[in-house]
Amino acid sequence: MPLQAGRPLTSGISLRTWLGLLRRREAQLVLAILAVFALSSALHHTFASASNISFILADSVATMIVAVGQTIVVLARGIDLSVSPVLGIAAIGVGFPAQDSNLNIWLALLFVLLIGIGLGSFNGFLVAVVGIPPIITTLATLTIYGGLQFIFTSGQEVVNIPNTYGQLGNANMLPGIPWVIVIGAAVVGLAHFFLTKTVAGRAIYAIGNNADASFRAGIPVRRVLFATYVICGGLAGLAGLIYLCHVGSADATTGSDTNVNLMSIAAALIGGTTLLGGRGGPLGAALGAVFLSEALQAMISFRIDPIWEPAGVGALILIAVVSDRKGAPARQLFRQAFRRPAGAPR
Amino acid sequence: MSLPASSVPAANPAASSADRRGRAVRAGRQETVWVVALVALLAGLLAYFVLAVPNFRALGASGVLGLSEQFLDIGVIALGEALVIFAGEIDLSTGAMSSLAGIVMATLWQQGLNIWLATVLALVVAGLGGLMNGVLVTRFSINSLLVTLGTQFIFSSVATAVGGNTPPYNFPKSFVTLAGTGTIGPVPNQLVTFAVIAVVMWLLMGRSRYGRGLVLIGYNRAAARYTGVNVERTLLGAFVACGLLAGVAGIFVSGYYNAARDDIGDSLLLPAITVVVLGGVDIFGGKGRMSGVIIAAFLLGFLTQGLLIRGDSSLTATMVTGIVLVLCLVLKIGLDRRAGVHLKELVQRRFSARRAPLAGGP
Repeated sequence: MPLQAGRPLTSGISLRTWLGLLRRREAQLVLAILAVFALSSALHHTFASASNISFILADSVATMIVAVGQTIVVLARGIDLSVSPVLGIAAIGVGFPAQDSNLNIWLALLFVLLIGIGLGSFNGFLVAVVGIPPIITTLATLTIYGGLQFIFTSGQEVVNIPNTYGQLGNANMLPGIPWVIVIGAAVVGLAHFFLTKTVAGRAIYAIGNNADASFRAGIPVRRVLFATYVICGGLAGLAGLIYLCHVGSADATTGSDTNVNLMSIAAALIGGTTLLGGRGGPLGAALGAVFLSEALQAMISFRIDPIWEPAGVGALILIAVVSDRKGAPARQLFRQAFRRPAGAPR
Repeated sequence: MSLPASSVPAANPAASSADRRGRAVRAGRQETVWVVALVALLAGLLAYFVLAVPNFRALGASGVLGLSEQFLDIGVIALGEALVIFAGEIDLSTGAMSSLAGIVMATLWQQGLNIWLATVLALVVAGLGGLMNGVLVTRFSINSLLVTLGTQFIFSSVATAVGGNTPPYNFPKSFVTLAGTGTIGPVPNQLVTFAVIAVVMWLLMGRSRYGRGLVLIGYNRAAARYTGVNVERTLLGAFVACGLLAGVAGIFVSGYYNAARDDIGDSLLLPAITVVVLGGVDIFGGKGRMSGVIIAAFLLGFLTQGLLIRGDSSLTATMVTGIVLVLCLVLKIGLDRRAGVHLKELVQRRFSARRAPLAGGP
């Protein structure tokens, strides 16, 4: 299955190819994003404005970057539930020096990466070296990092960031294209290149498909697993800086208040990555993040009470998962669901 | 720590049945060691708090028993969560389910229904929520992590929507006494309820055909099916029980605070899973003891409450919970290694395609 990612997309344009393309989750998501966009624009005249589009995209970047890291971990059959406090610690870790002593933004970038990599390595150590299951490891580090974030904040909050930060978060690089979108696109592009074109990236897919076989094929399984958590931590740290710049504030609940953990997993799943590992990719995760952000804006435009947002996200996860049956049509799925189980294993 | 035969079929074809039996015996002994260690830890912890923390000592015996009202909600959820985890599945929707049950109970009561009838109906709703999870997992064969991740969002939205801006509070006194803060002598009512549920769960897992089937499903699903365990129905039962107990926890919290809120359950899920894992249940199913989970509920609860009484902030207490969890697992994995499972093998197994053999079958 992972070879799919390298399949040429454009050669031999027959109807069959086009229909085959529609089987890909990325294509389905693009259609879904366009459909929601068309519907919202038709019913709400300001929805299609350039500023709204740019807002939707820019708003999704922090989630997108975390989701890319989450995808890399999930591809190797792991999960990282500690991304939200990592994002939070990174945001306040540079937020305070930026607010108090105007920390240089390049230094800030270095710091958030170091924070993320450090916290990610601890996850990676526990998972790959000690051998604690990922969901338990990151559940534990979620509480530990959450406590650290609270202690570091000591009741203060970052409310006033220097201009350079605010510009990075909200100003345009080219007319109509904010900096954050460029950064998000760069991260997604690099991750895609890493996962599809490098040996280490392919090893991640291999481990997610069958760690045992990968080990026997000579892949240093534990080292690669360790690396996935380090990368995920680093990206969560980077997302912390983006969040700080884009939103302009940070406190003890940053990251957990916007449910970064679950949103990043949701974006990855909606993007076609399966929790069983080995299938999916960062392009889908990025589209998933955009779709979530767009859906939220659409809900606001339609004046749907925002309390239904979580239910919408939950339903999307279920739809994404149910429809991901390697192309099994819905009819077959329902027949299977309501058939009496036979004696033999599925 | 014996190996599910199907997970690494070619790894050790020469292993004799005696060898395998030896491993099974060792695994059972290790589970016992774990439970004994938990009891010792609990005793040591209480001794420490009594000796070193004057405020804790000042509570007296009834005060210490009364502390349990602060954490039994987590314990009840953990008992249900344990059932699901024994079978190698997981339920992330329990916290949201607790909120929903509390809100449903309170809203029905506000609409003029008898409070006890409202409670029963709320528990029915919780059971139905569990049924929904179970149907999605067994009938559509979707990974339970995904299903419950999705339904968690849905339950919590519904709770918010039903509860409205000012969820009901100030329930009848009889309800608050029985479900919340009342006591029988020095023993809180909640503790009595918890004890009853815990004994039922302990008998269920240790002494009933159903419980053994559930553990077998977690240990080796294909083998369970061939042994005649009705895998779908057994799993469905576990999810329903898990939802139901999450509902009971929601009623506990509502009774204790004499108010229902749509977010009361949010902070219960992670500690509950921590309790289950601390209790020695393998997160991939098939191993562990219900008695361990019951003791772990008290261990974690008294640890948190003791730290709070000592004057630590609640987040420090939560952080210590996480650290304890990690240390326990490191210790447990060390024990596994002593029992002859090499770390490399262990790590490989953690990440190997555990459920893949199901697809083929013999």
